[in-house]
Amino acid sequence: MTKTVNATLDRRGFLKATGAALAFLTAASADPEHAVAAVSTATAVARAPIGAGPDSDVLIRMQADLRRALQKPVSQRRWVMVLDLRKCVGCHACTISCVAENKLPPGVVYRPVLEEEIGLYPNVTRRFTPKPCMQCDNPPCVPVCPVNATYKNEDGVVVIDYEQCIGCRYCVTACPYASRTFDFGQTYTKDTPVAEGLIVGQTTADAYERAANFEYGAQWAREENEASPVGNVRKCHFCLHRLKEGMLPACTTTCIGRATYFGDANDPDSVVSDLIASPNIMRLKEELGTEPRVYYLV
Amino acid sequence: MTLKRIFYALGGLALLFGLWGFYDRFANGHENAAYGSYVVWGLWVAMYLFFVGIAAGAFMLATLDYLFEIPLFKGTGKVALWGAFITLGAGLASIGLDLGHMERIWKVYLQPNLFSVMAQMVWGYTIFGLIILASLWLAIRQPKHMAVKPLMIVGLFLAVFLSGGVGALLGVNAGRTYWHVGLLPAQFPVFSLASGAALMLIIIGLFGPTDDPSASSGQATRRSQQLWVLSLLTVVLALVKVYFLWADFSQSLYGGIPQNVQAVNEVMFGQYWWAFWILQIGFGTVVPILVLVQPKLAKHNGWAGWMGVLVLVGFAVARANIVFPALTVPELEALRTAFTGPHLSFEYFPSLVEWAVTLGIVGGSTILFLLGTDRLPLFGKTSEVTK
Repeated sequence: MTKTVNATLDRRGFLKATGAALAFLTAASADPEHAVAAVSTATAVARAPIGAGPDSDVLIRMQADLRRALQKPVSQRRWVMVLDLRKCVGCHACTISCVAENKLPPGVVYRPVLEEEIGLYPNVTRRFTPKPCMQCDNPPCVPVCPVNATYKNEDGVVVIDYEQCIGCRYCVTACPYASRTFDFGQTYTKDTPVAEGLIVGQTTADAYERAANFEYGAQWAREENEASPVGNVRKCHFCLHRLKEGMLPACTTTCIGRATYFGDANDPDSVVSDLIASPNIMRLKEELGTEPRVYYLV
Repeated sequence: MTLKRIFYALGGLALLFGLWGFYDRFANGHENAAYGSYVVWGLWVAMYLFFVGIAAGAFMLATLDYLFEIPLFKGTGKVALWGAFITLGAGLASIGLDLGHMERIWKVYLQPNLFSVMAQMVWGYTIFGLIILASLWLAIRQPKHMAVKPLMIVGLFLAVFLSGGVGALLGVNAGRTYWHVGLLPAQFPVFSLASGAALMLIIIGLFGPTDDPSASSGQATRRSQQLWVLSLLTVVLALVKVYFLWADFSQSLYGGIPQNVQAVNEVMFGQYWWAFWILQIGFGTVVPILVLVQPKLAKHNGWAGWMGVLVLVGFAVARANIVFPALTVPELEALRTAFTGPHLSFEYFPSLVEWAVTLGIVGGSTILFLLGTDRLPLFGKTSEVTK
């Protein structure tokens, strides 16, 4: 009986929602400005804590976690990332989204996915290990920098001051996780044929490639004169520029298997707090005492 | 003189080739270098270690004249200091060109992190360079000046500690087991002294003074006596060097830590095994030992000088064999195939630009050094020195 009532209500709800959607689309087509306002409202509604309960999609929950964390003083939050190796399918969407988000040039990678074959036939499997910067609490890369260009910021994220970095690459040798790469100044479009009139000819593509990214909340265009970030060491920064705007890191939102989790480990209600309390949690090379902030569920 | 002309010509050719390398380095940055984000330090860093090692060693030997006042080495101090000055410049040029933003080097002086071994090295070598320059100036102008000995004392301490510091520069990287051995900073001062001795063999053997009055009387010349002592020093240090190598490699292989074993195997049996066995051990160690233990050959200008060249070639390869293998072992094995792209490889062989720049530095330094021996009063007359 209850089921029938629910079904009736659901149908009613569905019809209401459909009607509202049609009304919205009609209004939007008539008045684009109103449509933008409506989308903004819709986004605001989506950002509201409603629907971020324990049964919600984990992305919705993490967005709610993020909003809560951003309301806290910086010193009281602790960003961590959890990677569930049982869920990772090795699609590399995180790698690509990171490249797109940070407009990474050839040879620079913040989040490769390691692929390994394990076992002997017939008991074989594959393991995919996404590897961002570990954002160590005891980072070996920081003390070696001769000019304090790399340091843990107030968020606890290991960052690089591009204008301070002299490009000596000592930090690269010190990192036991190979989480840093050097920007050799290359572009994907160099020496490619010029295809006039096409949408993605060399000229257009080159202009896009040289347009600024937004790392660390600034604009870093790839200029011809080897200006930073060319000649600098670069690394994952948990998409600080996105966090600042209330958005999860690019790799987290694009993970199709929901294998990447991000949030504030100091918040007992956050998804990540729950996960890192699991007995099957581990960190890479813990014996080095680097205290990584990236955890793996195995 | 003919030999000197040949060295001038070779230096000029090397410099000419180097000019193209310098152009490419300044025009295209690091794009055409073969090192990358995995093998992150290449030939230029290895050459930095090599040259500054020679500089420190040459300074150590200059103290035999100006600090310890050993009669046999009287008169060799100035040319040793000149050698130290030129090789230090070569080392700093090599590492300077390796920087991604060399125009920001001033930041190491004005905004340094003095806990960084690299910042300590930059400061240390700057002070060391100034001490070499001041010592050389005084040695030429006012050899009896009261500041000479204090300068030599401070310089000697710096030469030892900076050599050790270069070992520590690598050794503090706990994640690289091949480097992270306590012995590394202890080895480097020995390497420095040995390469300084080899440089002095070249200088005295191939370009030394020829005005010794004892030569005509059939007695052992002062020059040959100096060569004999330097040869013995080179042989002893070569044996110590081999012992260090044995201690390091045997312990690594016995310990069995995969990353370490992989690096040692890379040196001995990897792609460039020939550089280790033939250049470093064969020509750089065994041949010089066999030649220099024979008094007749060790006292011979040509033999001793050319053995010095071989020892230095061996040291250059040894420096490369310290820097590269540790970096060719992935921190995580699957990194090899995780993401592909330019400069993302665990294999390394210097590119043409890297060779060109290095040859340019070697050529330029050779010419400058020879110009100094021609234009500056570096040797003095033997008859005056022996008084």
